Order: sequence, then structure tokens, then C-alpha cells
Amino acid sequence: MNMSDITESKYFVGIDLGSTMCKAVLFLENNLVDKEIVKTGYNHVASARDVFSTLLKRNNVDEKNIIVSSTGYGRELIDFASKSYTEITCHSLGALHLDSSIQAVIDIGGQDMKAIKIEDGKAQNFIMNDKCAAGTGRFLAMALEKLEIQFEDIDKHVEIESSIKINNTCAVFAESEIISLIAQNKNRYDIMSGVIHSIALKVSQMISKFELSKDKNILLTGGLYASDIIRQIIENTIKYRVITSKYSQFAGSIGAAILTYNNHIKK
Amino acid sequence: MSNTLPKDFESFSKARAQGFVKMKELKESGKNVVGVFCTYTPREIFLAADLVSVGLCSVSDETIADAEKVLPRNLCPLIKSSYGFAYTEKCPYMYFSDMIVGETTCDGKKKMYELLGELKKVHIMQLPQRQDDEQSKDMWYKEVLLLKERIEREFNVVITEKNIKEAIKLENEVRVSLKEFSELSKLVPPPITGLEQLKILFGSDYKFDVKEKIEEVKNITKKIKTDYDNGERKVNKNLKRILVTGCPIGGATEKVVSAIEESGGVVVVYENCTSMKKLELLVDEKEADPYRAIADRYLKIGCSIMTPNNRRLDLLSSLIEEYKVDGVIEMTLTACITYNVETSTIRKFLESKKVPFMTLETDYSSSDTAMLKTRAAAFIEMLG
Repeated sequence: MNMSDITESKYFVGIDLGSTMCKAVLFLENNLVDKEIVKTGYNHVASARDVFSTLLKRNNVDEKNIIVSSTGYGRELIDFASKSYTEITCHSLGALHLDSSIQAVIDIGGQDMKAIKIEDGKAQNFIMNDKCAAGTGRFLAMALEKLEIQFEDIDKHVEIESSIKINNTCAVFAESEIISLIAQNKNRYDIMSGVIHSIALKVSQMISKFELSKDKNILLTGGLYASDIIRQIIENTIKYRVITSKYSQFAGSIGAAILTYNNHIKK
Repeated sequence: MSNTLPKDFESFSKARAQGFVKMKELKESGKNVVGVFCTYTPREIFLAADLVSVGLCSVSDETIADAEKVLPRNLCPLIKSSYGFAYTEKCPYMYFSDMIVGETTCDGKKKMYELLGELKKVHIMQLPQRQDDEQSKDMWYKEVLLLKERIEREFNVVITEKNIKEAIKLENEVRVSLKEFSELSKLVPPPITGLEQLKILFGSDYKFDVKEKIEEVKNITKKIKTDYDNGERKVNKNLKRILVTGCPIGGATEKVVSAIEESGGVVVVYENCTSMKKLELLVDEKEADPYRAIADRYLKIGCSIMTPNNRRLDLLSSLIEEYKVDGVIEMTLTACITYNVETSTIRKFLESKKVPFMTLETDYSSSDTAMLKTRAAAFIEMLG
């Protein structure tokens, strides 16, 4: 490290290029300064460049003072990132940055879901479902569309208990099941509750392989964090404490930035 | 890391393809061929009878769709694909095999052989499911003798004691030469990548002149060692050293090795039947009865089709230590019941030894390469 590096503050950008949303955070040293999120368009790299340049312009940062790292499904597509890390490592570190006492992370993404066990300040084990849409954001989006509910309305109208059980785990078959429930004039919010229970059940199956404690928290990351009803249904189903953070959706990008910061100060 | 294979490797990586022509020439010159499927098959018997033996375990998904006309979809891809190659007559080795020898290993193979028997001449050996008791040893000994008799009858040959003892000696030499080659990767860093190691191990089975094969493997080992001693380092010392275990690897499943080696790891040793499982044991050349020696050696092989499979745990322990392994990655094939159930035993065992472990279940398709890479990369990142 030379003298100019010591005096000059470094910025770190972590970009989480997901299949559905592209998230990015700007860190000054190890402090979160700004964040940005856009829908991942047809041109994935363009979405990444988009969030990157927005953060730079908004904060008046010179590209020279930045180290960029990437994560997410599209991490290797981002040619302007100096390093890429898997979303498992990034979600763990990002989640720990948001709450250092957590024992696990549950990430429900647009097209996948994963559970990461945390021990000694890092990821110790993980389980991923990226083979089908069951339990993912896609499943929820399909239900919201069919039931004509806005995501923001979930917390206003959906109840924690539901009289409806969605029997099919496959998103395609579940869609047919939802349509037939609608035809039977079932209450749409009741159906929605059933859908969320279905997602929670998949989460429960996933984390059943981990040894967890009742005394510690699990952080929920991914777009679904914004609904407290979803959080509560998951918590009641898995029977472990589930918390969210207002930065939950940025856990991956935060982790990427932190990881790069940690590696930088080691040098 | 160099991306080009050294010239000597080429003869191995092309061995399978070039072997087709070689085999045709051998057949035309009057040689007969026995196709085999398993590491439990005693190759010495064929060598002693002056037959060519070749592995028929398929490594491509090309014929799976055809196989599924007859076999259920929910079946190991290796079984489906191998059968498919016979069914479609697409594999020259299958085509040229005068006889196929199979064993009652897993249920899938056992039943597939019945169907294969409708297409080719198949001899089945009944493999015991236990390894350590006298009953099982005697049973296998009798099966080895039955095989000998069948071969003699089928190919009108007499296998003398001299023939079999010489065959034992040669096959042991093959094992020793391949083991010494594999042991190069005990070095830190290893002189070659896991993919390069695999090319030699996998390709060696398609070299039909046994004496020539031994020479070639010895020469390549010597060359690699010399280059390394002279300071050549093709593999980065910061890569995590990975042991691969589980189902056989080659062809379509090379994607698992690629996923590891493109994510900060290097495979230093394979515990599976592509390598150590079949190389670690030698036939006792001092035993008076050569068939007893053969039977005893082969029965010891540690595969999940045996119950219990303690030898695998022992082999894993010693390899982890000898190769200074940082983590173990298991590859199981979809619908491989024995290996998939055994995963839980392996996980508990490695946890007790504090060795990081991950299992990847896959098939012969190429659609999951990104998923494999994410998991391999995450695992290696966790090794810190």
C-alpha cells in the first residue's frame, strides 16, 4: 500500500445482478452511502451499468476511486467488476453486516431460493433450490397476477391464518389450482395466504437440514422482505425467529462491497 | 495456468476416439473383445485368455432418449446411456464386443443387463453384497472360476497357470503405474490439474496394448516429475485442493471437475472408480491360488453397492491426509440409490473429521453447468 492509498478514501460498489432485479450499493470504506435497484432488463450488463452510473452520478464519485465487485446469477457478465463472488458468500456477509447476531439467512429470490447457515461470522453450509419455481418470487408473482392483488396490499388484507391449502408445489400446477379456487369463489386474500403458506413450507423443508437454535434470529432477504405478513407466516411455519432489515433486498450487494473492502484493507 | 495439454496427453485424451479404429483393426486381426462395466470385473481373466477388454460405461447423454423407449426415465443416466449405445449400435466398443461381462451390483444395472442380454451375449457374475465374511469370499471365488470356464468355452482357449500369473503381474503393473501418476498430485501445488489427470486416467482404459500402456504412463509420469523438479509450476499454489468422490466421472460429468477448477479449486485426487477405488489394491502375486488372489483383491473394492461400505471411509481418510485435501466434493448421479443414500454417512464421517464436504447430484445433461459452478464456487469460497 503506498502513501496515496492511505490518504485517499476508497469507494466500494457491490452489484448483485439477479435474474429479476439488479441491486447495487455504494460504500465509502465500510459505510453504506447509497443504494439503487432496477429491473434486470433484456440486456443484463446494461442494467448493471445503469445502477453503477446512477450511484456514481448521484454521489459525485470519480470512477478512479472505486473498486467494483459483483455477485448474483449474472456476476460473471459484469466486465467492469474487478472480482465476482457467489451470492452465498455475499448474502452471508451482507446479512451479518446488517445484524451480526444472526444464525442463518433465508433468501427468496426472483427465480431461486436459498438458505445459508452462518457460523463464526461466515457461511458454513447452504442449500439452494434453483431447479424450479416452487417457493420463489416467481411463484408469488404468478399468484399476485392471477388474484389481481398488488404486493403492497398483502399486509393490508392478507391474514396469517388461511383456510386454504395449495396442494401443488409445482408453480404451473399451483396456478391451475388457484384458478379453480377462484372459480369456486374463494376469498382472494385467503387464497393468497394459502400461497404464502406454500412458500413457507418450501422454506421449512429447505432449512430442516440445518441445526438451528430457537434463541437466535434468521434474516430474510430478497424482495419478499417488505411484507411483514410474509415474514410472520414464514416464522410461524418454520418455528424459528425470522427478522428483516430495510436493506434486506441489498444483502447480496452489501456483502460484495464489504468483501471487497475487507480484501482491500488486508493488502 | 496453461490451457494447452502437453503433447503426451493428446494420445490419452484422443485414446477413446482413436481406440475405435484400433479396436476394428484388432478384430480384423482375429482378436476377440470382452466388454465390461465395473471395477469388480477381473480383467486378468481376459488378459490371460489373450482377449481385449474395454469399459462400456457410457459418459454421454446422446443415446438416453433412445434408451428411454425401453427403460424408465427415473434411472441412473450411466445405465440408460450405456444401454442406449447398445440399443442404437452407436458405440463401436459395444458393437465390437463379442461378449459382455456384468455383475449384480446395483439394481438398475442388474435389470438392465437382462435387456442387454437380448441384444448381446452377456455373462453375469453374482457379486456378494458383503466383503469380509468367508461365505462371501467363497461365493466370489466360485464366480471368478465360473467366469474363467465361460471364457475358455466361449473363445475356445485354455487359460494356463502361467497365463493367469502373467496377467496378474501385468495388471498390477498397470495399477502401480497409474497410481504413481496420480500421486504426482500429492505435490503442493500439484503439477497438473484434475482435468488433465482425468484425461490420462480415463483415456488409459482405451489403450489396448497393456505393455505399451504401462510404458506410456511411466513416461508421462517421469516427464511431469522432471519438469516439476526443474521448477515448472502450471498450477497456482493458492487453489484449494479438492478430493472428488462418488460416482464415476468422465465425459459428460467432467463438467463437475470444470466447475471446481474454474472456481478457485484444483482436483488433486479422485476416490471414485475412475481412479483410486480401482488402483489402490493389488492382486497378491505370492498367493498360491491365483484365482483366489484375484477374487480376494476384487471383493475388497469399496463401492456403495457393498453393505456396509467401510473401505470407502478408510480410503477417504488416507487420501485426505496424503493429498493434503482442503475439501471433499461428492458427485452422485441422479437416481443412484446406493451413493445417494450413502451421502449421509459420508457427511457425518467427514464432519467428525472436520473436513468440509459438499455433495452435487447431477446427470448427463449440460443444462446445470451454471448451477454446479455456483455451488462449487460457494463451497470453495467457504474454505476461506
